[in-house]
Amino acid sequence: MKAKRTFYSERIYPLLFMFAVTFFCILITSGLQLATEDRATANELAFTRRAILNAGGVAFENTTEGIEEAFQSKIEEQDGYYVADSNSGKRYIIPVEGPGLWGAITIMAGFEEDLSTFSGIAIVSQNETPGLGARIEEPWFTEQFRGKQAPFTLVEEGTADAPTEVDAITGATRTSEYFKNITNRAANDAKRIIGGE
Amino acid sequence: MTDSLMPFAVFFASIFTGNILLTNYLGMCSFLSVSKELKTSTGLGMAVIFVMATTTPLNWIVYQYLLIPYNLEYLRFIVFIIVIAAFVQLTEMTLERYSEPLYQSLGIFLPLITVNCAILGVSLFMVIREYTLLTSFFFGLGSGIGWFIAIIAMAGIRQKLKNAKIPPGLEGPGITLVIAGFMAMAFMGFSGMIAIS
Amino acid sequence: MQNESLEVSRMASKLLRKTFMEPLGKNNPVFVQILGICSTLAVTNKLQNTMVMTLGVMFTTALSSLTISILRNYIPSRIRMMVETMVIATFVIIVDIVLKAFYPEMWKQLGPYVGLIITNCIIMGRIEAFALQNKPMLSLVDGLASGLGYAYVLLAIAFVRELLGTGSLWGFQILGSWWTNWSIMIMPPGGFFVLAIIIWIIREKIMKEAKND
Repeated sequence: MKAKRTFYSERIYPLLFMFAVTFFCILITSGLQLATEDRATANELAFTRRAILNAGGVAFENTTEGIEEAFQSKIEEQDGYYVADSNSGKRYIIPVEGPGLWGAITIMAGFEEDLSTFSGIAIVSQNETPGLGARIEEPWFTEQFRGKQAPFTLVEEGTADAPTEVDAITGATRTSEYFKNITNRAANDAKRIIGGE
Repeated sequence: MTDSLMPFAVFFASIFTGNILLTNYLGMCSFLSVSKELKTSTGLGMAVIFVMATTTPLNWIVYQYLLIPYNLEYLRFIVFIIVIAAFVQLTEMTLERYSEPLYQSLGIFLPLITVNCAILGVSLFMVIREYTLLTSFFFGLGSGIGWFIAIIAMAGIRQKLKNAKIPPGLEGPGITLVIAGFMAMAFMGFSGMIAIS
Repeated sequence: MQNESLEVSRMASKLLRKTFMEPLGKNNPVFVQILGICSTLAVTNKLQNTMVMTLGVMFTTALSSLTISILRNYIPSRIRMMVETMVIATFVIIVDIVLKAFYPEMWKQLGPYVGLIITNCIIMGRIEAFALQNKPMLSLVDGLASGLGYAYVLLAIAFVRELLGTGSLWGFQILGSWWTNWSIMIMPPGGFFVLAIIIWIIREKIMKEAKND
């Protein structure tokens, strides 16, 4: 039996139906969003804090509570930088932002008291190509800066020897270059922000 | 890199080094099926350029002035799709009414584009990378051109393959993917093109 | 009367089984219908990311199919695609919100690709081809099975790519330092090649079986 094609069925009903569906969809998603909002913001904060802890070489338990606890007890926030009280001494951490291939790369750079030797680098955010430039987030890449001093030069992946050489990422030369520029700048920034206060 | 150069750098990068199809795997469905014929590929490619170049900045405006002020960012998926669908629908109707030749060469592909993941993907990338309005436009335009180049090249190659002997299991999508893989490798060679200061 | 209802339930369970098995093999969305490669191929360079993505796709396909099937007699045909898109988008947003709140690491790694599940042709394809004409329970099973069929192909690709490209699986180092990483595997071309080879192998197999039948 074919339904009668009235003005109602052709124009009004579809509109009503669409409204109803849209309303329900937005209701469900908004409800879920509100329920998890606080959690999501806490996660964001934990990310930044964890980067600071990593850059400062502070040991912590990798849970939201662990990060919070370590941050409160070991990190002191100053004007534009952080001071970390790690097991190996006092470290200074500054946020550094610079252009990447696709968008900005933001890192936390940690320094020993001489403000020259890196105690660690942690990525806060990046938008590089997944599987390529995004590999800057991988531990082996950020770890290699520990204990080294700027200015850095990039070498082929796996061949870094001298204390100023760092491995680039194979297939992500551009991103590696951008990252190197950021780290070189970090050293200067550190001396300026923390040292010459 | 200075901010004023960003749109142009993104423009070139989105065509070559970060090609929306060959690097980011977006827009494959129609790519695999339509690239059999050069003529339809051209029509579809041009439609893609048009829709990408217009909906990306459009979505930027909607995101900045509607979603962010009301804390509705999590609805961006729904909203972007609605914007894209509405815009495509509008364009199709306009073309059909005012320009028959343009409609024949471009307009008939428009419905196919609404579900093309590349269009939505470009808008989503734009949000993640926090582009400005101008950069969004060039990003959309560049991505569209990149997709266009990829599908044209593929169609040309497949035309040449018509008389080649291909193992039966690879016929159709199989060999297209292999060619796409080689094209992706070739495009990777472009990554040295843009010099950064 | 008893025999009839027994027969009906036996047919029903047979239909259920058939509906479940088809997308896994004969009608596998990815290599038979070449659907939905777009979004997920990009994350197949890591097994862990692929797992999360495919779970997201399974969730969305199954529940979208279910929802549309329940509503199928009430949806006006001219807004059919918009409604489908709206429903799919809702489930994807749910996945996105849940990831952001409970698995933020993963959420950051997957980036825009979660949102792109919406445009994944498989979901829309199954809805149009199956859910619109079939009962809710069957549609749910079909959606789930399609998602599963999609999942295991992508996991296979990810397995190859991650193992050959980084020597590790799920982040755990498997191959020792004797292995030189096939970097091409984690880069975009690798995804294309591995998928092409898998399609080739499967299709050859299917063709051989068809010849033997």
